[in-house]
Amino acid sequence: MENLEKENNILLEVQNAFKIKGKVIRDRRVEVMVSKDMVSSVLLFLKNQKGFIHLAHIACIDFIEEGEFQLVYVTWSPEQKIHVMVKTRVDRENPVMENIDNIWDQANTYEREMREMYGIEFPGLVGDHEFILEDWDEMPPMRRDFDTHAYAHKTFYQRPGREDAQDVRETITKRSGEVIPEYAKKYSRE
Amino acid sequence: MEDLGIKILGAILTTIMAFAVGMTYGGITRKLTARVQNRRGPTIWQNFIDLLKLQSKKSNIAHGFMGHMAPAWIIIAAITTLMFIPVLNGNLWFPNLTFHGDLIFLLYIMVFGSLGMALGAGQTGNPNSAIGVSRGLSQMVGFEIPFVLALVGLMVQYQTTSIKDLMEVQQQTGIWIMFSNPFSFLAAILASLGMFRYSPFDIVGAPAELASGPVSEFGGKYLGTMMSGGSIFAFIKLTLFVDLFMGGAGNGSDTGIWATLLGIVILLVKTFSLYMIPVFYGWVSPRYRTEQSIQYFYRWPLALGIISVIWAVVL
Amino acid sequence: MSTNEKNSKTILEYISEWSRKHSLFVMAYGTGCGAIEIPSTMTSRYDAERFGIRGAATPRQADVLLITGYLATKTLKRVIRVYEQMQNPKYVIAFGSCTINGGMYYDSYNTINSLDRYIPVDVYINGCMPRPEAVISGFVKLQEEIAAGRCHKGEKYIENLEWYRANQKKIIKNWRMPDYNW
Repeated sequence: MENLEKENNILLEVQNAFKIKGKVIRDRRVEVMVSKDMVSSVLLFLKNQKGFIHLAHIACIDFIEEGEFQLVYVTWSPEQKIHVMVKTRVDRENPVMENIDNIWDQANTYEREMREMYGIEFPGLVGDHEFILEDWDEMPPMRRDFDTHAYAHKTFYQRPGREDAQDVRETITKRSGEVIPEYAKKYSRE
Repeated sequence: MEDLGIKILGAILTTIMAFAVGMTYGGITRKLTARVQNRRGPTIWQNFIDLLKLQSKKSNIAHGFMGHMAPAWIIIAAITTLMFIPVLNGNLWFPNLTFHGDLIFLLYIMVFGSLGMALGAGQTGNPNSAIGVSRGLSQMVGFEIPFVLALVGLMVQYQTTSIKDLMEVQQQTGIWIMFSNPFSFLAAILASLGMFRYSPFDIVGAPAELASGPVSEFGGKYLGTMMSGGSIFAFIKLTLFVDLFMGGAGNGSDTGIWATLLGIVILLVKTFSLYMIPVFYGWVSPRYRTEQSIQYFYRWPLALGIISVIWAVVL
Repeated sequence: MSTNEKNSKTILEYISEWSRKHSLFVMAYGTGCGAIEIPSTMTSRYDAERFGIRGAATPRQADVLLITGYLATKTLKRVIRVYEQMQNPKYVIAFGSCTINGGMYYDSYNTINSLDRYIPVDVYINGCMPRPEAVISGFVKLQEEIAAGRCHKGEKYIENLEWYRANQKKIIKNWRMPDYNW
């Protein structure tokens, strides 16, 4: 059994300061669920008082069935070598999230990518609206209801001859006489 | 009248020989560099093939009058300078227009070609060309000073400013100037490392550094003309060095066919061995920045040049 | 093919095509992920300089443009500009399966699927990415095409310019490109 003492300590300290839910996923990974307005206080607490001085990444997950975006702020502490992931939920119809530019400078880049790819508004964010894509006027492309296959077929000329393309996995299993197991069948093309 | 005819024919022959020798030396250098780097290289005649391909480009893009003139300046400067260098001493077929001040004259006419390229590059309006030209001219400030000091040392020692007199002094005493005034030779060789624009002083035309500097907007026929002008200039500098320091080639009075051919062979051997000095040094050196290269020239080459002048005055 | 056609190439044309075949200046521009194979092709192990192939720094000096992999619409705008700056005769070699039919990114919102519609292509090299041996065999194929006289697509681009421009403007919405003097 691994020694998860440090991770449990961090979780207890954060939970004592704020009344939030969290758990230790495994060795060196702790996650904490926060509501939208407490994010910057938790991040400042982690950064200034607990030694989690590095923001590694801000990620976004599209839960289209529940109508929400989930934002994950990944922080890292070099002395204890633990990642603490702060997770929040934002409404999908009108997504507005707080700008944490003043805590870490690199959040500017991640938030501009969120604004372009998912359409999340960050009030007070400084930077060009065009970040990676040029002359883009459709809906933000990383949302799950943007059909990228149909868009590619509509815009770009497709060279004929791709319709009878074979799936590599299916072909090789058929050729060697094996069977794809049940849990892997949901990735099949047929 | 037929004297004039022979002279004109000889002038054309000299130009063709300089062009062919310069381009072949470039090809041999590429082949040797490749072998040193453990690969096979292109053929020896690759520079000629490049020139043919560049001349057969169909469309020409130029940026105004000076853009047309820049390659023309280089070729004119190259051929004019070639006429003043004694290729084979006193041979009837290779005319050399000598007069009493021609060493000083050569010093400033060799810069003419770079001036033409600078004017043409300025016309294009590309900022890469402008930066490359300013770097090239600053490097020229670096290497011209030891070179001039070395030549001044020679002029003071032998009380003459004519190349022909220097060659005759070497023939009379039988000792090359390379051995009788070694500091001048060393200073001139170190200055010549900058003249040939090999590593480590190739920051002017470096392709990855600056989009190849002054030639960045020239393509097709203009680029081919510039390449051949560069080869003729390389031959000019090598022949000048051989005449000044290694005794020249060819006897004074023989003008038969076999004597001419023997003279050409001796000239080729001497120039090739002198050409290998910058090439060898270039194989093992990384590139200097502009201020590093000027600092390089202001240390040992300048010191050797001053010592050579003092040596010439004292002895 | 009658013997008249075969012998109608003059000596000058023969020398021009021979010299174009044996001295190719490759534009030093890596457009996609296949550019990782170019340094290994040019250096000691799979020496490409023995064919006369050299790197050139600017489009004005180059003959061959290598499109090494996928092209986003952002890159396509710049590639078109570079291609129009090169001087005739010019060649394009397309690496990888992304230029043939979209490859791995066939359903992406940002990459084009078939390069032939936007600039004319001479030789395709398939693979993902092609190894240096495959790259060299692509250059040898280009040499054969030049010798057979089939590589005049630079002039065809100028003749069919409206068709190419229509295709290009369909995917590049904000068209802010100058006219070039050919």
